Amino acid sequence: MKYFLSLLACALATAAVAEDGVTANSIKIGIMGPFTGNASSYSKAEIGLDAYYKWVNDQGGVNGRKIETVLEDYACDSAKGVAAVKKLIYQDKVFMLHGNSCSAVAMAIKPVVVEAGIPWVIAHAANPAISSPPTKNIFHGVPVGKTMGVAMGQFVSSKPGLSRVAVISHTDDWAKSYCGPAKEYLASRNIKPIVEEAFERGQTDATAQTLKIKQANPDFVIACLYEAETAIFLKDAKKFGLNVPVMGTAGTDLENTLKRVGDLDTVANYYVPHMYADNLDGPRLKKYADILKKYYPNESLTAFSLISMGSAMAVVEALKRAGKEPTRDKLITELDKTKDFDTGVLAGHITWSPNDRDGVKEVAVAGFVKGKPTVLKSWGKPL
Amino acid sequence: MFALQLALSGLAQGAIYALVALSMCVVNRATTVVNFGHGDLVMAGAFVVYLFVVLAGLPFVASAILAVALLFILGVLIELGLIERIKAGPHIGFALMCIAFGYVLRGIARAVWGREVLPMPTVFNLPPVFLGELVITADALVIFAAVGVLLIAFFLLFYRSSAGRVMQALCQSERGAALVGINVRAFHGVMWGVGAALGAVGGVLVAPITLLHPGLGASFLIKGFAAMTLGGFGSFGGAVVGGLVLGVAEQLVGGYVSTKLIDITAYLVIILVLALRPNGLFGRAIAEKV
Repeated sequence: MKYFLSLLACALATAAVAEDGVTANSIKIGIMGPFTGNASSYSKAEIGLDAYYKWVNDQGGVNGRKIETVLEDYACDSAKGVAAVKKLIYQDKVFMLHGNSCSAVAMAIKPVVVEAGIPWVIAHAANPAISSPPTKNIFHGVPVGKTMGVAMGQFVSSKPGLSRVAVISHTDDWAKSYCGPAKEYLASRNIKPIVEEAFERGQTDATAQTLKIKQANPDFVIACLYEAETAIFLKDAKKFGLNVPVMGTAGTDLENTLKRVGDLDTVANYYVPHMYADNLDGPRLKKYADILKKYYPNESLTAFSLISMGSAMAVVEALKRAGKEPTRDKLITELDKTKDFDTGVLAGHITWSPNDRDGVKEVAVAGFVKGKPTVLKSWGKPL
Repeated sequence: MFALQLALSGLAQGAIYALVALSMCVVNRATTVVNFGHGDLVMAGAFVVYLFVVLAGLPFVASAILAVALLFILGVLIELGLIERIKAGPHIGFALMCIAFGYVLRGIARAVWGREVLPMPTVFNLPPVFLGELVITADALVIFAAVGVLLIAFFLLFYRSSAGRVMQALCQSERGAALVGINVRAFHGVMWGVGAALGAVGGVLVAPITLLHPGLGASFLIKGFAAMTLGGFGSFGGAVVGGLVLGVAEQLVGGYVSTKLIDITAYLVIILVLALRPNGLFGRAIAEKV
């Protein structure tokens, strides 16, 4: 009888941790990112995420379990993204997914994740359609493009005397997710773009676009472009004497854009949404920059490096609340209890509920002031 | 002035396309292989010059010469080590081999430089030249000068020297050339080397203008194909003219029709030329005796 009872106890104990990806000692989290390819600089977000989970493990883990991360590359390619996420779910049998830069890839893998019912916290991709309308298992851990687009529009319209705005953008969903809300916000202030030009990924010259924008004589240019194309456009703007402020997206950052164009003069009038609570080299972010440096000593710090750590903190808190025997349902329930969570990294707090999975709704803007990247609350006004 | 500025930028871009198209044409005419990995040789040229300039601290001109020399050797090795081995097989094997080594080169660049989009330091820090409102940058001047000198040297070598006449003879009849004692295998290796080196020059010239990433060569491959198609397959002069026309066409389409069409201009050129004038501007129809 004793033997039977002990067998039963063992069986029950095993059943208690039978959720995929959970063992007595570990919780397996799948992290997918564009670790290769021409958008691979975005995967710094997933590298930062992995560094944070390693740091959590060194602090003792979560409820006695270490976090085991499984990193999968999809090179910012939708087909590879679908394959990567299927591998993580069905082969690696991870407990949850946390990752994804590249909105187009996130949209491609969304049906797979929804069908599997596995919790997925978006670490970096900004397309609001990934988490809206809400589905049971998807949470957005960074500001969505709409939030950033509105912040871009607010900043542009805060320039005194502004009336003429030009737009240059890629024609993909990613660019639309920034430029669309920015234009909508400006339209609500009766400002419509005087000219809209396309500049596709991979092009190496922006002469036609720059000359047409210059002819339109704008007060401000909104540029929804990836990193390489942003640098090319800014260089051409300087070359052809287009001397107006340019509002970029969170797909670029000030420090690396400066490095790419080569001189401060070219980026002196360039602004980007800023998702952090401080300057990248500010005292409030030092702890997190040090975490990255500890676990990835050769990794350079860019605006993408710490962006996913905020949502990782929210995940760790929810896992703690899910208790000694976490299940996916318990985790989803606890993530939905995240209210006004101050990560210390992000400018905005994280709040999730079953009806609203767009977790972060505040963004600042950063630009160069006296040659130094500075967080701004509006035109000419440092935070 | 607007049209002139567009044309000028188009010519600078087109000069790079011309170089890429010419380098593809050299390989195609000498060996009948269409090199689908050629864009990655352009990328490799850009990365090698970056390696010498930024990491080794060498002057740009010396780095460029070293990069072109290295790519010449790589081209020879590809021909002798990979292409030559599959000569007896089906033609599709060449295409697959070219795609494969292209991806290997891309993979090596990714393995070394991974997540970075690399900026090449400004090479010729000269102020732009203003002709009224017309702007000509130092980069554009360097491209015009370098491509011009290179093309003149290439055409003089190919059409006016005794070595060039040997090459022409080989292009016309390998069997005949072999019968009079010319080393056909070595000729193929040299032509692959020349093709790779010319492609590398394209990469070297484009590096200071744009940013470097492993996928850099993909768009140049398409532009090279479009320029070759427009000029006529196998025509060296046609490849050059095709590249220049394509560069200008892209800018004019962007300036006067829509910037949304710039990206598809090369594809439109390929479709239109193949449908309306399959031999391109300067290509000749080849009659085969049956």
